[in-house]
Amino acid sequence: MSLNDRISDDILRSVEKPARYTGNEWNVVQKDVNNIKIRFAFCFPDVYEVGMSHLGMRILYHLINEREDSWCERVFAPWVDMEEKMRENGIPLFALESHDPVGIFDFVGFSLQYEMSYTNIINMLDLAGIPIRTADRTEEHPFVCAGGPCSCNPEPLAGIIDFFILGEAEEVINEVLDIYKEWKENGAAREDFLDRISSVEGVYVPGFYDVQYNGDGTVKSVNPIKDKYPRKVRKRIVKDLDNVYYPEKVIVPFTDIVHNRLMLELFRGCIRGCRFCQAGFIYRPVREKNPEKLVECAKKLEESTGYEEISLASLSTSDYTGLGELTEQLIEEMEPRKVNLALPSLRVDSFSLNLMEKAQKVRKSGLTFAPEAGTQRLRDVINKGVTEEDLINSVSIAFAGGWSTVKLYFMLGLPTEAFEDIAGIADLGKKVVDAYMNTPKEKRGKGLKVTLSTSSFVPKPFTPFQWEAQDTIEVLVEKQKFLKDNIKSRYITYNWHEPELSFLEAVFARGDRKTGEVLIKAWEKGCKFDSWGDHFKFEKWIEAFDECGVDPAFYANRKRNHDEVFPWDHIDMGISKKFLLKENERAYKGELTSNCRVGCSGCGAAAFGSSICIKND
Amino acid sequence: MNGLRIKFLRGEEVKYISHLDLMKVFERALRRARLPVAYSQGFNPHPEMIFGLPLSVGVTSEAEYADFGLEGNVSPADFMRRLNAQLPAGLKVLEAKKKFAKDNIMASITMASYRITVSAEGHFDREFLQEKINDFIERPTIIVKKETKSKVRDVDIKPMIHQLCLGDSEEGTFTVNSLLSAGSSANLKPELLYDAFADTFGPGIKLKAIHRTGLFVSRNGVMVDPMDDRVLEGTNPKR
Ligand code: SF4
Repeated sequence: MSLNDRISDDILRSVEKPARYTGNEWNVVQKDVNNIKIRFAFCFPDVYEVGMSHLGMRILYHLINEREDSWCERVFAPWVDMEEKMRENGIPLFALESHDPVGIFDFVGFSLQYEMSYTNIINMLDLAGIPIRTADRTEEHPFVCAGGPCSCNPEPLAGIIDFFILGEAEEVINEVLDIYKEWKENGAAREDFLDRISSVEGVYVPGFYDVQYNGDGTVKSVNPIKDKYPRKVRKRIVKDLDNVYYPEKVIVPFTDIVHNRLMLELFRGCIRGCRFCQAGFIYRPVREKNPEKLVECAKKLEESTGYEEISLASLSTSDYTGLGELTEQLIEEMEPRKVNLALPSLRVDSFSLNLMEKAQKVRKSGLTFAPEAGTQRLRDVINKGVTEEDLINSVSIAFAGGWSTVKLYFMLGLPTEAFEDIAGIADLGKKVVDAYMNTPKEKRGKGLKVTLSTSSFVPKPFTPFQWEAQDTIEVLVEKQKFLKDNIKSRYITYNWHEPELSFLEAVFARGDRKTGEVLIKAWEKGCKFDSWGDHFKFEKWIEAFDECGVDPAFYANRKRNHDEVFPWDHIDMGISKKFLLKENERAYKGELTSNCRVGCSGCGAAAFGSSICIKND
Repeated sequence: MNGLRIKFLRGEEVKYISHLDLMKVFERALRRARLPVAYSQGFNPHPEMIFGLPLSVGVTSEAEYADFGLEGNVSPADFMRRLNAQLPAGLKVLEAKKKFAKDNIMASITMASYRITVSAEGHFDREFLQEKINDFIERPTIIVKKETKSKVRDVDIKPMIHQLCLGDSEEGTFTVNSLLSAGSSANLKPELLYDAFADTFGPGIKLKAIHRTGLFVSRNGVMVDPMDDRVLEGTNPKR
């Protein structure tokens, strides 16, 4: 019986959202396998609706499919109900386009967007019948690779992933596929292929590096096992975003997904340098796309998909230099086509409110702000260049413009945080309520709703806070309680994140190879879909740490010495450790660092030769 | 208003998408085809588009209908050709005609016919099947449990079954053809009918597939095809 027959109606009828597994969406790429040399399974370790919303996946899918010799298909983590049926019926993990088993592909590539998806990677490999550990794979198995932001510290997955692609994959992936084709024709050994790609800039083969530890458990050294492998593996970036491949069509899913709209990427990187934010550093330097090109691209995408909404997707959209021009033009083009323009995460000032009015007409959906910390002192520590005055001005403008729902995002547990800073969060919430009350009744919208939302600070590699300790779970819970007690207004709702999940995130974000065994152990105990509330089994994780003899607090709650060797020190994201250390010291002094446009602070990314860094020099 | 009615089929490839998602598929296909469909006013405009009776997830059909309001000129033939070019595999417009009548398709449906395919393990000869079906339909009442949001209640579905007969049968499977009440005043889902008659055959049978073969509107008490000219012309045929 073919796999297609085994994925029977009986099974599909018995699971939630069967359309997750059937494929056939508009703009899907089908190819004749007889004409294909390389089959690539692009795997997203989460469900369809999450994976399909990811812009990077949409780009790389079509990029690989531009090649005549290759066919890239999509694979998502089957939801638990489907997995159960698959295991019961001996159905291996399959790709959506062909419904062929992933185990017969040449490459299995995972997108690493968040640490808490790692157990899903293991689970998917297991479902595919591919050995979980690199060491157990042979010539008959696919190469397992990974990329995405989490690969800047690839070490927890070093025993699971054959090779990583660091930075932006557009160019690297084509070079790797070219080498593969040649290698396959010559029928050489598995290791020979890895050996060949190790010289491609941006490719990291963990198996070619040896890690030594100190007696206290910290890393002593990471060395390549042969001299020919680079001591430090540097990420790749695309220098000229205007001429980089961008698909003219994207898949239009049948079912609703998290971001069910066109996404236009305005720029990569971020000029800001908020000290807690990994994305603000690892994607540097900032590179913008030309507004005219973007409008052209939007038109083509709209024509090929029929989508009714376009959103601007970038880290901090307000920082795009051509934002005014771009939105004007987009509105002009899209309004007659009845396409709505969604503007996410704008810094709110009169300019952007004006834009929002234009873009969304009368719809006054909620506005979000991310002051991140409750007092000016702490906001200076994290280099978040927002003042209370800015914020109150912004919300006042918004209230006067008819908005009445405001969400404010904060972090608990930031370095140097004291209880005054937490009280400051409640205070700020109250001042927002006051700002509403001070707005003339006839101008403001009805039904004020202020939501304060806190997440727990997770220290991340390649940020100035990579040396910092995370608060223990107990302390975080206490801080949440303190904040709750300080909120008095009935207009304010308080939301918080489970600190247990942030704790594990902190372990794996800065984990070493020893933590990889814990991932496998936790998976063996049934951990998967950890970021999906009801599936999160914290006790199982603690058991897994115990059984592996790994202390999670060592990774999450320990403050590092400035001279400690980090597990990711042989990875070069273009940001120098010296710069990060300087930023760490400035944080403690509460000194602000200017953004890249105002002045270069010499982070190291100038080496990529992007215009923003050069102009500033 | 200037309107069109289409008949389309919904095949295996798209049978697992919900009714709401199907409407989205059409909405986007209409946009890609740049067809001059009328849109509702407001800041969240929707195309004027009304579908016949929703199909349950997993059911295929060769007789689906939809009405569209137009705000420009396009011939039915053109509409059909351009829309078909933009529909994904598994959806195909079979026919398109101008519609003058006011009644929309959803409000006017009264009956639907289905082919229910059953897989039968063990010995089921035609005679046996025929006899069981006859027994079933000759019951004075056919009571099933119907679940609504708040409670489960007993309903007699017999008045909603207008025809029930054995179709093909071969080793391992057989089909049952049915004509059932459909629409807003009385509606019997084929799944419910299957659940009701499944017991009469004893163990060893399993629902394999449901396929809608027809949808009908009634005109002066007679069942007619929704694409029938008399239906589409409405009360003012000379317009
Ligand atoms: S080198 Fe200077 S301008 Fe370039 S990204 Fe770093 S700080 Fe910004």
